[in-house]
Amino acid sequence: MNRMFLLILAFGLLAALSVSAITAEEIVKNVERNEINEEERIDGSMIISDRFGSRVKTFISYAAGADKMLLEFTNPEERGQKILRLEDEIYLYFPEAEEVIHLQGSALKESVMGSDFSYEDMTGEGDLLDQYEVTLLGEETIEGRKHYHLELKAKKRGLAYPKQEAWIDAETWVMTRANAYSLSGRLLKEMELGDIRVVAGKYVPHYIIMRDAMKKKSSTEMRIQAIDLVAELPPDIFSLEELTW
Amino acid sequence: MKLARIAFRNIRRNRRRTLLSGTAIMIATMFITFAFSLIAGMLGDIESNIVRYVSGHVRIRHMEYDENEELNPLHLSVTEYEEVVREMEADEEVMAAVPRTRFFTAIYRNDRTYGGMGLGVDFEREKNVMKIQDAIEQGRLPQKGQKEMVLSAGLAEELDLEVGEKLTLLTKNKYLGMSGMTFTVTGIVRFLVAGFNESFFLMPIDTTARFLKMSDEATEVLVMLNDSKRVDEFAEKATGILTAMDRDNLSAQPWTSIGASVGWMQLARSAYDVIALVFFILASTVIVNTTMMVIFERMREIGTVAAMGMTPREIVRLFFIEAFYIGAIAAFIGVLLGIGITIPLSKVGIDLTQSMQGVDLEINPVVYPRLNIRSTVFVFFYSTIIASLASFIPSRRAAKIEPVEALRSV
Repeated sequence: MNRMFLLILAFGLLAALSVSAITAEEIVKNVERNEINEEERIDGSMIISDRFGSRVKTFISYAAGADKMLLEFTNPEERGQKILRLEDEIYLYFPEAEEVIHLQGSALKESVMGSDFSYEDMTGEGDLLDQYEVTLLGEETIEGRKHYHLELKAKKRGLAYPKQEAWIDAETWVMTRANAYSLSGRLLKEMELGDIRVVAGKYVPHYIIMRDAMKKKSSTEMRIQAIDLVAELPPDIFSLEELTW
Repeated sequence: MKLARIAFRNIRRNRRRTLLSGTAIMIATMFITFAFSLIAGMLGDIESNIVRYVSGHVRIRHMEYDENEELNPLHLSVTEYEEVVREMEADEEVMAAVPRTRFFTAIYRNDRTYGGMGLGVDFEREKNVMKIQDAIEQGRLPQKGQKEMVLSAGLAEELDLEVGEKLTLLTKNKYLGMSGMTFTVTGIVRFLVAGFNESFFLMPIDTTARFLKMSDEATEVLVMLNDSKRVDEFAEKATGILTAMDRDNLSAQPWTSIGASVGWMQLARSAYDVIALVFFILASTVIVNTTMMVIFERMREIGTVAAMGMTPREIVRLFFIEAFYIGAIAAFIGVLLGIGITIPLSKVGIDLTQSMQGVDLEINPVVYPRLNIRSTVFVFFYSTIIASLASFIPSRRAAKIEPVEALRSV
């Protein structure tokens, strides 16, 4: 009887060891390594659905690392409008405006093109591990695949989301689901990623569905039509001077 | 008949007493007459401002606009508005028909954003409706098709902006995407309504359409009628016109059924009803007090007439007739004086700018009293009746006292 008890205990310890074989910090680093590219160009679209129906906005986006991003809308209604992100700063360019708009404060919480994404969602949160206390809550199987379930708690005030939950595919290091909460624990946003394809040796989700829990009957699907991870981007593309050209 | 003669003689006999009593009634009546005219002027102002600035006499909008209004649904618009405006203008009952596009916006200036309420208007057509040309304080009105705007004085102050400077607006367009455009401020307007001076700006409706990607659309068409009493009938007629035009997606609403406007009017009426009640109570107190005092002072006289054989009933009637005569004459003069004050002030107005500061009502700071015949006639009868009835209490009491006791009192 005692031998049986020891055996069960040993198996239990082994199981516990296998869970903690990888730390939450390592998982986050793997996600960032897969997610962040030195240079990329994406041709994409946003399908925004709400009580008034669905609308499609198309765009081309360029990114370099985690801090620089330029998005230019190509659909007829907003053709030529650009959003530039430089670290945590957001700048907007409108062809009919004579100045570049530097978004600040509460304006960052505004939705991008009436979608479920806010400008704040587009700003870099820098190194996730610098900003959040990360805890591995366990492993879960989602659609037959092993996932790590992480909890991220903000280390400082002023971040867009004080608390987040994320589910990371244990094989591809792609975050396939994430929920963002307010300080009081109220659900703010739900995100779902899928259609994961291998591009230049990296796992790239080709759609993101974002739901703003504050909006009724609203969701935004962002789709990648084409992606180039070895694009050679023009020099100074991520500058305020280039933005107005 | 005999009592009436005695009452009239009494009035003439003690002129000072009659004058005192009559003057009090006259002043109180004049005060109520004027106060009623002032309140009528203020309510008329609110109505006129709501109609001119907000709703028109009849407002034409997309059927679904109102229920989504807080979302600024520019796609729920009056398409090809010129056609609708022309059809309305063609009706003989219509004084003017104006297209307007309302939109919320963020105003970007010096790295800061401010909230604003934009109004795209046809400046030419608005000459007889909003009368923006009369409100221009500095500069000029924007030109059609130009990226120009006029700012309300309060907004210009908040933004620290002067005529000739530029500012950039950000807003949600018809496709619920973003639009940004830079405009030159050509003028600063000071509207008579305080609420419009805080966050409003106006621009040409065609420029607004370009900014909001709306082509020939407006969020509403407002119709002003020659006869403001026919709003309900014309709203029905307008619905018929829209149906004949195959524009069933549009609805025509009389301003009296528009929630916000009705709410404003009800709020204003309630506020003024309270003020009127206070005036009434004050004036009534003066009339009742004076009448009663005058009778109480005449105890010896009451004792004398009672000793001479006049019955208590006759004494009460005598004082009632006296009070009625004085009341009727004083109220008549008071009403005339009230009218005399109201008529010139209804032309020059009363400037309440100082006392209206910080009051966010749809009311002009210069109030023009309006004489209302019905309420003036009512005030005359009210004052007369109150003065007459006020005589009952003291005279009944006095009539019950024994003549000897009444003669003893001073």
